[in-house]
Amino acid sequence: MNQPSLSAFLLARLRDGLLVLFLVTLVIFVLGHMIGDPAALMAPVDASEQEIARLRRQLGLDRPFAEQFANYFGSLVRGDFGQSLWQDRPALTVVLEALPATVLLTSVGLVFAGLGGSLLGVLAGARPESALDRGANFLSITALSVPNFWLGLLLIVIFAVQLGALPTSGFASWQSLILPAGALAIIHGARVFQLVRSATFEEMTKPYALVARSKGLPERLILWKHILRNIAVTMLTTIGWEYVRMMGGAAFAIEVVFAWPGIGQLMINAASRQDFPVLQAAVIIAGAFVIVTNGIVDLLYRYLDTRIRAA
Amino acid sequence: MEKLSDGVAPSGGLNASRMGENFFVPSSALRRFFSWGLVIWVGYLLTITLFALTGGDLAPYDPTAQQVLARLLPPFSSSSRGFHWLGTDQLGRDLMSNMIAGARLTLFIGLVGNIIGMAIGVVLGMIAGYYGGTLDRLVMRLSEAQTAMPMFLVAIFFLTVLGPTVLNVVIILPTLIWPSFARLVRAETLRLRSALFVEAAVATGATDWSVLWSNILPNMAPRIMVLAVIELGHVMLAEAGLSFLGVGVQPPATTWGLLIARGRAYLAVAWWLAIMPGIMLGLTVLALNMLSRRFAATSGSAA
Repeated sequence: MNQPSLSAFLLARLRDGLLVLFLVTLVIFVLGHMIGDPAALMAPVDASEQEIARLRRQLGLDRPFAEQFANYFGSLVRGDFGQSLWQDRPALTVVLEALPATVLLTSVGLVFAGLGGSLLGVLAGARPESALDRGANFLSITALSVPNFWLGLLLIVIFAVQLGALPTSGFASWQSLILPAGALAIIHGARVFQLVRSATFEEMTKPYALVARSKGLPERLILWKHILRNIAVTMLTTIGWEYVRMMGGAAFAIEVVFAWPGIGQLMINAASRQDFPVLQAAVIIAGAFVIVTNGIVDLLYRYLDTRIRAA
Repeated sequence: MEKLSDGVAPSGGLNASRMGENFFVPSSALRRFFSWGLVIWVGYLLTITLFALTGGDLAPYDPTAQQVLARLLPPFSSSSRGFHWLGTDQLGRDLMSNMIAGARLTLFIGLVGNIIGMAIGVVLGMIAGYYGGTLDRLVMRLSEAQTAMPMFLVAIFFLTVLGPTVLNVVIILPTLIWPSFARLVRAETLRLRSALFVEAAVATGATDWSVLWSNILPNMAPRIMVLAVIELGHVMLAEAGLSFLGVGVQPPATTWGLLIARGRAYLAVAWWLAIMPGIMLGLTVLALNMLSRRFAATSGSAA
């Protein structure tokens, strides 16, 4: 009985995801065409009127808008994102080269955010209003209130400039991963903490926890066996959502702060050089990443929570 | 899942019992709202607002005045011009004066972006919740699609293409936040639409517009306010991020995000240039978060 509903859900997710990706490309296309005349931008500085007109014809810029978008979308589907204006290589290649560094950084950041945030969240939620709860709660709200890139700069000042303990930038050894991944772990761990904490708190007041307590089970067993099992799904999806958020913004600012050779750094370099093909390839690839992760998290949530599957 | 997208989680089950209480009774509401911690946060926000309104008039020095002999002075040091609480930058400009002067644009962009986003979200949310049907599906689909999009990246693209101007920043910021307003307002409108006083208003022949404006909107205003306070923080952080990445506000205009960006180059020799403006911005957002928590806890809203 579950099987058909799951595949229907999968199909619906896939359709929605593709639709969103399509919308992203449409937005990018419309924006790209608001800059005026791409032909005039791409032509050599000393090009004549006629040469620009010819280039415009070559690029298909004299065609109707819908046809231009269809052509554009068609070439994207074929994997043709245009040439990088700055590196003179296919834009997609440039972006895909930067992707592994971003994935490495965000994965390590997420693991620590998930572990740290969940552990503290369960401990704090189990003892509301304790010193640990108050302290961790305040710290996490603070971490969520400061700009993410600023937190990166703060870590550089403390650990690299003042203590001289860790490298500040680039991708030299595994040590250069510590600070950027640490910054991401703090920012996203703070939100994981908040959500796990309130989930634990809520779960502790439920009847089954009361029953377990009244039949004399030790508090530790209740927490780590019964409560944890019930909030595990919330925990996992929360962590999944954090990955979506990370890929949607914070990771890129952190990359720029630490000169990490990933997509964020690439995007800002491309933006400052007005390299639109690379910029749009980066947005679309990162967008696809976000959308796919979103879908996987949704799926995981459905699959893991038997209560939802039964419903 | 919607609730998860807010920066701050609801504080627990305490609120449920307060639901439905009349929170427009001034004395008891104030008493519940009051705490000394809150006074400090509100005081901080009022000070920042005052800085913004006076636009640098309260700064101890002219923020743009350079001083070759007093470059990169650390906090709490003196130059021939006088005392510099937070030190000076690479051109000998007083950092604190720059931060005070930067409050105006930082707050202006945050407020305008927030108000526009709130207006869009409230209008669309009310239409979706009140009329339902196709309109509802359309609005909700749009907000879902936008939440799934990496909007911060689209914002970077948008600003690179159209130019990093204050106007464009103010145009793009509301797109980051309207979906959360639309979702909240839609849910609230749905809930209130079947309330007895709304049905009574409809029965007496009130128009849709008047029901929405004078019956439904006032009843969800406190919840919208709580969300608006949280989202103001988000908008300010987003502006700072865009300005830091070089696609937001451009010099010679000053925002705190821009000051952080400017200080970044001097991190190794003058840490205060990047760190201090960030503390000011962080404290502002923290104050907003504290205020909204307090507000949510006392008005029975878990937004």
